Amino acid sequence: MPKVPVDKLEPGMNLARPVTKGNIVLLSKDTKLTETLIKKIQDMEINGVYIDGPSHQDIPKDEALAQLDRRFKNVEDRPYMNMLKKLVKEHIEGLYD
Amino acid sequence: MIDMDIKSLRRKVENINNLPTIPSTLKRISKIIEDPTISLKEIGKFISNDPALTTKILKMVNSAFYGFPGRISSASHATVLLGSNVIRGLLVGVSVFELMQNAMLGLWEHSLGCAITSRLMAKRKGLKDYDDVYAAGLLHDIGKIILILEFPKEYKEAMNEAKLKNVTIAEIEGDHFVADHADIGSWLAEKWLFPRNLIEVIRYHHKPHLSKSAPIETAIVHLADILLRANGMGFAGDPFVPALNPAAFEVLKLSETDLREILEEMEDSLEVTEELSL
Repeated sequence: MPKVPVDKLEPGMNLARPVTKGNIVLLSKDTKLTETLIKKIQDMEINGVYIDGPSHQDIPKDEALAQLDRRFKNVEDRPYMNMLKKLVKEHIEGLYD
Repeated sequence: MIDMDIKSLRRKVENINNLPTIPSTLKRISKIIEDPTISLKEIGKFISNDPALTTKILKMVNSAFYGFPGRISSASHATVLLGSNVIRGLLVGVSVFELMQNAMLGLWEHSLGCAITSRLMAKRKGLKDYDDVYAAGLLHDIGKIILILEFPKEYKEAMNEAKLKNVTIAEIEGDHFVADHADIGSWLAEKWLFPRNLIEVIRYHHKPHLSKSAPIETAIVHLADILLRANGMGFAGDPFVPALNPAAFEVLKLSETDLREILEEMEDSLEVTEELSL
């Protein structure tokens, strides 16, 4: 599920996540983009939307998580660092969905 | 350890313009930013006269992330919108980091990512001076650049040592250079007559609990620095995440949900940094 910059959107692409402003859903998930919708999205102050399809990550997931362990190895027992690592880990895993 | 006491080191840093490796743009810029009488109009004119500088500044302020996507078409407009302090910060940022890609690959990405993330957090916390916090994030590691310019060989050795000893570069700079990059950056910020809050963020971004005049701004840049490293974005001299200062983190009162959202927003900032690579 890649995030595509607003100037690279093309008609026919499918939204993998809703486009929201605050708590209001402007375009729901699975909306198929048209020229008009793309223009509307480009007028909103956002820089990209999530589109269905495989995302491109530079390194395999296992390697990304191993690097995360190495970065945190000196500070895991310090206050809040375990929580932070957990959140970053979930975030990185999310990039590979 | 370099053979120099802290006073001589400070004098050397303050006379940075005498270094042969300092790019001419920075020399011209430091003349502008050291002059407290200079008007916004003159700063705008100075930028307009340098096409490369104009392009970089406009690219930065027009990026979707900055909040004026595509709306600023001239250096004078940017100068008026951002004000003297912020524009001076951006000027130093774009001109200093340019020569960094060889010496420390990834420091520009780290600094720009930190600027964007800091600005996001400042907005989230309802601060009015979020553009100032952006400039602070951009320049927080400027002391590292100065150290590399002044002592290229010794700084590379310190970086290797940090990696071998499993410590951050900030933890061992003091052993090699009498002062660390936070001190050195703040000396320069003082000489350049940067605002009090910007000087404090640079000086205390590793010891945010010591900041008196800008505790929130300093805590924000401290956390942004750590989040960038935690997420493996950019490079700042060593491959490790520094520990969070608990008091500073508590000042910010960020929930796990806040942090999740910030991590998402940072991902966007990475795309922007790619666009803005110098």
